[in-house]
Amino acid sequence: MVAIADYNVREKSQWCPGCGNFAIVGALKGALAELQIPQHQAVIVSGIGCSSKLPHYVNTYGFESLHGRGLPVASGIKLANNRLTVIDVGGDGDGYGIGSGHFLHIMRRNYDLTYIVHDNQIYGLTTGQASPTSQIGMKTKTTPHGVVETPFNPLSTAINGGATFVARAFAGDMAHMKEIFRQAISHRGFALVDVFQPCVTFNKLNTYDFFTKRVYKLEEQDPKHDTGNRMLALEKAYEQVKTNYERLPIGVFFKEDRPTYEDTLPQIKDKALVEQPLAGLDISKALDD
Amino acid sequence: MDFVFKIAGQAGAGVMITGRMMVKCFTRGGYNVIGYPEYPSLVRGGHNTVQVRVSDAQINSPRRECDLVIALNKDAIFYHMESMAQGGMIIYDQLIDTGRFKLRPDVRMHALPLSKLTLDVGGTEQMKNTAALGAALAAVDYPFEMLETLIREELARKGEEVIKVNISAAKAGYDFVKTNGISFGSQIKPVHPERRPIITGNEAIALGAVRGGMKFYAAYPMTPASSILHYLIDKERQFGIIAKQTEDEIAAINYAIGAAFAGARSMVGTSGGGFALMVEALGLAAMSETPLVVALVQRNGPSTGLPTWTEQGDLRFALHASQGDFPRVILAPGDVQEAFFLTAKAHNLSEKYQIPVLVLSDKFLSETVFSTERFDQSKVIIERGKLVKGPLPALAPMARWKRYAITEDGVSERALPGTPNGMHVATSYEHDETGFSSESFVMRAKQVDKRASKMKKLLKEMEPPDVFGEKENAEVTLLTWGSMKLPALDALALLAKKGVKARLVSFTHVYPLNPRHVKKALRNSGATIMVENNSTAQFAGMLREYAGVKVDFHMLKYDGRQFFAEQIAEETLKLRESGYKGGQRVEVVEKEDMEYYNPQRHGL
Repeated sequence: MVAIADYNVREKSQWCPGCGNFAIVGALKGALAELQIPQHQAVIVSGIGCSSKLPHYVNTYGFESLHGRGLPVASGIKLANNRLTVIDVGGDGDGYGIGSGHFLHIMRRNYDLTYIVHDNQIYGLTTGQASPTSQIGMKTKTTPHGVVETPFNPLSTAINGGATFVARAFAGDMAHMKEIFRQAISHRGFALVDVFQPCVTFNKLNTYDFFTKRVYKLEEQDPKHDTGNRMLALEKAYEQVKTNYERLPIGVFFKEDRPTYEDTLPQIKDKALVEQPLAGLDISKALDD
Repeated sequence: MDFVFKIAGQAGAGVMITGRMMVKCFTRGGYNVIGYPEYPSLVRGGHNTVQVRVSDAQINSPRRECDLVIALNKDAIFYHMESMAQGGMIIYDQLIDTGRFKLRPDVRMHALPLSKLTLDVGGTEQMKNTAALGAALAAVDYPFEMLETLIREELARKGEEVIKVNISAAKAGYDFVKTNGISFGSQIKPVHPERRPIITGNEAIALGAVRGGMKFYAAYPMTPASSILHYLIDKERQFGIIAKQTEDEIAAINYAIGAAFAGARSMVGTSGGGFALMVEALGLAAMSETPLVVALVQRNGPSTGLPTWTEQGDLRFALHASQGDFPRVILAPGDVQEAFFLTAKAHNLSEKYQIPVLVLSDKFLSETVFSTERFDQSKVIIERGKLVKGPLPALAPMARWKRYAITEDGVSERALPGTPNGMHVATSYEHDETGFSSESFVMRAKQVDKRASKMKKLLKEMEPPDVFGEKENAEVTLLTWGSMKLPALDALALLAKKGVKARLVSFTHVYPLNPRHVKKALRNSGATIMVENNSTAQFAGMLREYAGVKVDFHMLKYDGRQFFAEQIAEETLKLRESGYKGGQRVEVVEKEDMEYYNPQRHGL
């Protein structure tokens, strides 16, 4: 039996009081415990940023990599040992800004990974610059006259881009978020969970109050929402644009069953790469080619 | 016997494949063979050549002059007339109008109806290179059966029809030369037929890695490193490895670091521009103490430079890449045997010491194909260092395992994900012993010292340079690192013929350097000449810095080609005439300037 407490660490987290990240860590530990994933069988990877400190606060294996590079590191871990549960976490700047190239291509490959984005629509660790998801008009240190760039839409990008599980959660609703995480980790394939995560220090626009008034649960308000319908999922993903952020659906937008990248590799069908012997591979046949 | 062919024609005409066939054909006849390709960065229309040097003696590098040129297009005649040896021969396609060329009276010209011969036996225009290959072998009286057997084997997968028509085309070329009495004058007969392998530097790197336990390779296509990726992807199922083409070089190295963290021996391969993109993650491997091997196959920089030509200009880049201080190793193989064994060794070093190890090759070594002895695979032994096997003792509640424990030799035990009670975080931040990011002054200094202290044992793993030629009392000593060993070895033979007591000191373990090794190899060296394929004598600078040795002369070439042995010998003889006095810098530039890039400029 793995209990939630087993994932606890001694170190106190370094986030601001009230930060949405606390709820995300809690929900993640809860989901891992519900799925009974032993500590040593999980690897939590991250990039760099406030949210990317998360691997330090969950007692599993962790890899806090470089800014924007969590996904390729996680992919390498998964290919080397596909028996592990690999979860990548990071912020909107990390994943949708500097790491956006990896995001686009790694979705296409459909590795069995879970990717949780702490989307606070601002750069926190670098003290308050505009991010790829900052709302039009929002004033930040680097947009004193307000953001003019169209915000990046992670959900529509993922639905179009080959992700096989696309969901959104809100850090102000931990129980719902835990359930989404549980489903995402259980899903075989690339799962994106974009989390509305209020930054209490640098984002004075997208606050808990802002989200609480606007979010609604897809499965409650739209019980007929068909997660297998890509066009419908896209429509939901565009609702924030259409309503100018007045209505923000959370929940599972899209799901698809597709073979994972690992499924296509016969060389790791029976044994993970790391379980195979290193020594003694005879290369003489190749020499004769 | 030392005979040099050159097959030349437009890109896409099958020059490269014909060259490789020829290398294989003569290797099977018991000869030492080198196939050296040159081509511009163009897919269509560029001028491609393969020089095939065949000898019964030990040869190490291409020769400057060619005996027999097989010209598949008019450019081939125009470009290579100048580099023909005295009394050479050009066999060319009859369709080429030679009226506008300045021909040399000593070079014999033979027109062959290559297209007609090929079409008459049911072949396509594309197959005329096969007819040309047959013709070239006939001109030196090499038995046709050798080629026939080879075609059968090489095309086995393509079916009987394809095999038949190719053999017919080759035979048509062969017979035409025989029937018309075209003969070079010298014969090449199979001496002691045996099946020795032929291999490029890149293939040797790939196989060395696989034999060395590499399980994961990631790369983004970049000349001249791409053939490692092609080779490994082609054989990934056979070897039980994963070779992955990623979206860019940044992804490639981060994939490899992830795979290595999980426990698979990993490597990336690239050239200078791609390595520039990898630099940040090289530091990540260092900070997280994740084993990683980088195969850096150099071409001319800066920036895009000359994509398909050669240089040794990235040594200082490899040495200094990344912010901060950390230990690393740079190995530079000088031939295909060394490429195989040193790449295997790189994987051991990177895992034993949990550091990045760079294998530096260049276009010249990596894309040239050499006949060689079979690798003695038993010499490759896998050493994994302080890798934890099996579960670790239970941790206190909420505690993490000390992955980065301070140790005397700087190397800490490494537990892979999946190991019970080994939980820790690898991070790009400075960290404490469990991997928790830390800004403690004390811990920072301790962790820097811990990583740095690996150098002490590492230095003992570095092998001394190889010494060739005059070992006791040399009049002059050539120094090389990496692939310049090859022309320098041939230069040594040329110098010996002139009565010069010369030595060659060839470095493969270029960093860290053991000063004692350097000084020992240079005892009674006479005048010293560093032979480097770059413009600033990068390795000479390193010898000065790390071994306190000042080399007398820097012989440098950075025009896109490697040194020819003849050039090294000529320049050395000039220095000898001056009593080994004069300016330190000796620059070598090709006399012929073929300007392969743009044939139109010549109005051809």
